[in-house]
Amino acid sequence: MEITLFGNTFMMPSDVLAAWVFSLILGGIVGFLILKKRRLGLLWEYMITTNHRKIGILYMLFGIIYFFRAGLDALFIRTQLAFPNNDFWVFQGEKYNEVFTTHGTMMIFFVAMPLLLGLMNTVVPLQIGARDLAFPFLNALGFWLFFSGSLFFNISFFLNMTPEIGWTGYAPLSTEQFTPGAGTDFYVFGLQISGLGTIFTALNLIVTIVRHRAPGMKMTRMPLFTWTSLVTSFLILIAFTVLAIALYLLMFDRMFGAGFFSGTEGNPIYWQHLFWIFGHPEVYILALPAFGIFSDVISTFSKKRIFGYPIMVLSVMLIGFLGFMVWAHHMFTVGLGPMANTFFAITTMLIAVPTGIKVFNWLFTMRLGVIRFTTPMLFALGFIPSFVMGGVTGVMLSVSAANFQFHDTHFVVAHFHYVIIASTILGIFAGLYYWYPKITGYVLDDKLGKWHFWTFLIGFHLTFFPMHITGLEGMPRRVYTYAESDGVTGLNFTSTIGAFLMGISMLFVIWNVYKTYKEGRKVGDDPWDGRTLEWSVASPVPDHTFDPMPVVKEIDAFWFAKAAGEKMPVTDKVRASPIEVKSILPFLMSMTFFFLSWGLTFAWYWMSILSALLLFGLLVIRALRDEREGFYGRREKDES
Amino acid sequence: MNREEMALFKDKKMGFFIYLGVEVVMFAVLFATYLIFTPATQGPHPSEVFEAKIVILSSFFLLSSSGTLWLGERALKKKKQAFFLIGLGITKLFAIIFLGFEVYEFASFVKEGYGMSASVFMSSYYALVGLHAAHVAFGVGWMGVLFVQYFRRIPLTLFTEKLSIFAYYWHFVDIVWVFIIGIVYLPYLL
Amino acid sequence: MPLFFLLTGCNIAVLDSRSDTAEDQAFLILFSFALMLLVVLVVCVLFVWFVFKYRYTDEKKHDIPPDVKGNKWLETAWIIGPLLLLAVLAVPTIMMTYDQSPVLSSESEKDGVPVYVTARQFNWTFEHENGKTENNRLVIPEGGSIIFHLSSEDIIHSFWVPRLGGKVDVMPDRELVYEIKNPQVGTYDGKCAEYCGIEHTSMVFEVEVVTAEEYDRYLNDR
Repeated sequence: MEITLFGNTFMMPSDVLAAWVFSLILGGIVGFLILKKRRLGLLWEYMITTNHRKIGILYMLFGIIYFFRAGLDALFIRTQLAFPNNDFWVFQGEKYNEVFTTHGTMMIFFVAMPLLLGLMNTVVPLQIGARDLAFPFLNALGFWLFFSGSLFFNISFFLNMTPEIGWTGYAPLSTEQFTPGAGTDFYVFGLQISGLGTIFTALNLIVTIVRHRAPGMKMTRMPLFTWTSLVTSFLILIAFTVLAIALYLLMFDRMFGAGFFSGTEGNPIYWQHLFWIFGHPEVYILALPAFGIFSDVISTFSKKRIFGYPIMVLSVMLIGFLGFMVWAHHMFTVGLGPMANTFFAITTMLIAVPTGIKVFNWLFTMRLGVIRFTTPMLFALGFIPSFVMGGVTGVMLSVSAANFQFHDTHFVVAHFHYVIIASTILGIFAGLYYWYPKITGYVLDDKLGKWHFWTFLIGFHLTFFPMHITGLEGMPRRVYTYAESDGVTGLNFTSTIGAFLMGISMLFVIWNVYKTYKEGRKVGDDPWDGRTLEWSVASPVPDHTFDPMPVVKEIDAFWFAKAAGEKMPVTDKVRASPIEVKSILPFLMSMTFFFLSWGLTFAWYWMSILSALLLFGLLVIRALRDEREGFYGRREKDES
Repeated sequence: MNREEMALFKDKKMGFFIYLGVEVVMFAVLFATYLIFTPATQGPHPSEVFEAKIVILSSFFLLSSSGTLWLGERALKKKKQAFFLIGLGITKLFAIIFLGFEVYEFASFVKEGYGMSASVFMSSYYALVGLHAAHVAFGVGWMGVLFVQYFRRIPLTLFTEKLSIFAYYWHFVDIVWVFIIGIVYLPYLL
Repeated sequence: MPLFFLLTGCNIAVLDSRSDTAEDQAFLILFSFALMLLVVLVVCVLFVWFVFKYRYTDEKKHDIPPDVKGNKWLETAWIIGPLLLLAVLAVPTIMMTYDQSPVLSSESEKDGVPVYVTARQFNWTFEHENGKTENNRLVIPEGGSIIFHLSSEDIIHSFWVPRLGGKVDVMPDRELVYEIKNPQVGTYDGKCAEYCGIEHTSMVFEVEVVTAEEYDRYLNDR
């Protein structure tokens, strides 16, 4: 189907048409519901909010929406691969390449990241007794930048201009010469904008954790989720900045005729270095917060403090540090030479040590405990063996000579799904079930939660375990079909069944949230018999928390206060809280980034210039409407 | 500044230093890019491209603008309002002159045929020095806002705070320029 | 999992090695797999044991577990243990990495039958010593070393023959050298393993390892 718009003719294949129809209907329904229930006010409230809990909710909401979208991509991939020489819908060749590109990019940047950042946003201040993140305005800006970047990336699909360069965007395939269309630009700018938001949020979290802890909450008394958030934030600052520059250089290549990554002078391996200096730490950016969630969940539901707290913290730091020294293990086959290959093989093996420490410490946290099999705990329990399986294939991959065989096959696909789903996704589910009562005041249904857990876990293993073998059978990744004679038919079909089981498991989540909303059971402030400070404040969390401010005397202070049958001591000597503001500026600012990128992508430079001017205008307005003006002036009079 | 203002200021200071850390990583990667690709085996050699005169002149204005800003800041502390305004004004003027030189330099390169696509060395030069120039330009705009804030008579402690944050930024941009001189220009001008 | 491997093991392409290079790689795969299986087993035994033994029961409703902070000796044990295991794994890894890593052709000192591989979207050209070329079909002699000189005309591809060993990326504007030692007679599938665009999937080739005499005949048959 062809459509003419703005003088350009677009091809509209059936999948894009389906996406339009589906989105318009869904958008219509949501819009109708909002109008009918008169919730426009609520919408506006969330657009101007800078409250950490509300921004956390926004992050998680969009993370889950994109999870369904990227999950749908995965189902398309698996359906296409279900049978040899299959011809499912349009997903061969170009369309298949598009769908695995969006699946990977979205899952990493627009699903895992926002869900984790959402949990951090909501929970970290509550765990350390902070009233909000240090810079509420910046926090809102961080979210809206993520939103605008993800929107920019997603819109490419509706224009049938989806990027098709893989989530790794390897040059020279991603340069102008080989992908001249706008698709790759959507990738470049989408990641650039949302990455900027991520950097701001990381910065915000660091300042919050370092400077806004409750009295007595020393660094060595912080819950492990807060610790991992802190280390993760540092990783984000370095890794995402390197990615930003990599994308910046790629933009120069594509738009201004530079030649960093292609041609006789440029170097495609340089892109790979930059990308993996970002990309490998990114894996730990995804995994570490999940480790923190599991630490808290396992400790709570074993009724025991975490085993070996100091070494747990140290190992997180060590993983973060080593994470920056292993990037070239993604590049064993590009000819860096035996010396580099050996170095990166050894560093990669070393990273298994701190990870191993964590696994054993989790096991020994449960030892002698009383293990309650609640839904969050089930996810944590499912995590341990699944993650170890992913971890050991990681060590196998680090064996550089063996990696020549593994590299870029389904074995690698199996490996990284094992580690990322087992840690990040199961961690996010554990976190969502665990903190849902704190966020909404309702506890999610346990029975449906268990259905969700078991179908997801079984589906997950069914999908990805066979991929180890298909990989060794010689199936490269990113191929859209295989021959009967390749001997991988049965295994691929098993994977497809597993993928659909995972898809079905997500329906339990929708059902569960709906059921809880309709007939949910209101719970108290501390439904899980928790150990850390967030369970001492009301559920759902009010806008103003920790009044009076508790004083922390030890690790898991809330638990020990409960055990002693006392209330936590409080104080009124509190440092200045972050000042809450309500402002639409963050939203507007991030939208200027959207249009700026749009102009660059389609060479409508007037639009870019206009957006840039608008952005500077908004920055000036922001500077002139500093919320601290009122606050400072008031105090100053007392002083002089 | 009272205790509460101090706490908020320290938050901001720390946040801004972390942001400068991000900038350090950013420029470090760009310097690395420059070092990897320069000199390129094809296209112009850096020594035929760069001109010492412009580098010296522009460096003079940018580096001394750090000094004038510092003087202005000190004048504000001593409540010498006029001196402060002159200091900030000269800083801004010098920054604009620096930008003028940059624009002139880039334009003359392009005119001589050393544009973005001339060689991968030129590309990495523009990516690095261009980003720095953008930082200077942003600083010029920022100083404009500071003038407005000053005449709006916002609380003095708040204004001092805003000025200090800007000063960190400006000195940082200057330090980057020192590295640009040392890494980008000097090896090919000596 | 081990059962799975045993049942299908001898048929899995990568483990069914038909050259010394692939055999070394298969050894490393199986060796690392065995070591890692040990780790998985230890973790799973502890996991099942603890989860079963310390599970919640109604008698334990009011139990408050002991407040254990950690255990220096245990924690040292699971630092040292994995380190030893990795040291064992590192030795053959380093040896074979030095032996097998692809290098730039300017740094290569390897001797053998040279084959010049050129890749492009979306096919392969193989050029032999005497200038004979063929597309998408690679004929090489058994025994001895085959030295592949690989380069690409456009973007990055990757040269992979699972049963003979591999893989090595095929880069534009630089030539890499990869050695396959002592291939055995037979016909094998080869493919591009680095995503390279629309028809990446169909960028496959066929490898025939033949006797030395047949190879000579092949070279001279124009």
